[in-house]
Amino acid sequence: MADGDFRREALGHLDALYNFAVYLTRNPPDADDLVQETYLRAFRFSDRFQPGTHLRAWLFQILRNTFLTFYRLREREAALAEDGVPDWDVPMFHDAPDDDRGAMDAHTDLERAMRRLPEEFRTVLLLAEVEGMPLEEVARVMGCPVGTVKSRIFRAKERLRVLLKDYGTR
Amino acid sequence: MTDREPGDDGLGARLARDLPRYTAPPHVRRAVLETPTAAPRPVWVTPLLSAAATALLLLLVGVGLLPPRAPADPARRLVGAVVTEHTRALRWGVRHQEGLPAAWLTRESGIGVQRIFTGDERLGFVGAEPVYLDRERGMALHYRDVEGHLVTYVVLPAGTLTVPDRRRVQIDRFRPALIRDDGFSAWLWRQGGVACVIVADMAAPDQLDRFKDYYLRVRLATEPFPAE
Repeated sequence: MADGDFRREALGHLDALYNFAVYLTRNPPDADDLVQETYLRAFRFSDRFQPGTHLRAWLFQILRNTFLTFYRLREREAALAEDGVPDWDVPMFHDAPDDDRGAMDAHTDLERAMRRLPEEFRTVLLLAEVEGMPLEEVARVMGCPVGTVKSRIFRAKERLRVLLKDYGTR
Repeated sequence: MTDREPGDDGLGARLARDLPRYTAPPHVRRAVLETPTAAPRPVWVTPLLSAAATALLLLLVGVGLLPPRAPADPARRLVGAVVTEHTRALRWGVRHQEGLPAAWLTRESGIGVQRIFTGDERLGFVGAEPVYLDRERGMALHYRDVEGHLVTYVVLPAGTLTVPDRRRVQIDRFRPALIRDDGFSAWLWRQGGVACVIVADMAAPDQLDRFKDYYLRVRLATEPFPAE
């Protein structure tokens, strides 16, 4: 793939990667850094990308690996604020549609519940359900068999339902 | 997702529909657009790198085949062997065990224990395993402190080992020797017929008090003896 084509196609996934980064890092400034680092690596190692394979999965894989390598430790350190309350549990400002209050609360609960899931559950739901990736691509991003992806989706949803029930939404 | 699990109550669809999506802010978009693409690699780089890698590999193999230089001092040699075991545990991890398999450990290591330190609120037990160090069978117990330091406690038959007097440090009523090796600190002492070593990456001066405390926790709660 020519360099210009590669860049153009990679940039087409910017918003999806940014969304994924926000849910992984639970922190927009970290998501900014993570996305920039992802593109830096992707452009630097573009010769390793095999044309004909899925660029989207390749980029998501780079982003997740970068997150696991550099950001997870920091995330663990910052997981508890001084009062012992996880700071990512505080609702954030976001681009939720500006509709009625009930729907807004439901969005917030869904988002909060997602943020409370362990990384592997969050990732599998974001890739499979939110991004609509085929299971084979999700498996490639996560470096595990398709069967594992299926079981993670199942368990992630179970956990998500429990959390939503805690918040009083279904 | 097309391959939905049976029993899915629409949660997947709800996520796709209702979960707020974040779009990349303009400054991120600008930064990504300005990210340089990798410069094309000159044609001579690949063969040069291959040659350098081959030379390095031959050098490493050659060095590996040389006989290792072991310190002449038995105390230093023992500590060096325990540090190697400790770094192996750091690098490859320790298999976590819920309880301490004392009978198995005694059978495999030749070291018995009247009492053994199984961890506390400060120093959690991670795992135990038989080891073969400095030509002796023994046991290694690994602990992790609340700050994440791995602490390795090794017991081996003492033989004729002498604890170097000039390195002894008074801790409570005990006087183990403090030996530094390769950036690690180690306590070495004899107890009954066994030699005991505790190693951790706590070589900074401000970590000494904590390292003394770990020594005391293990020393007071452990009574090993040669079972053979």
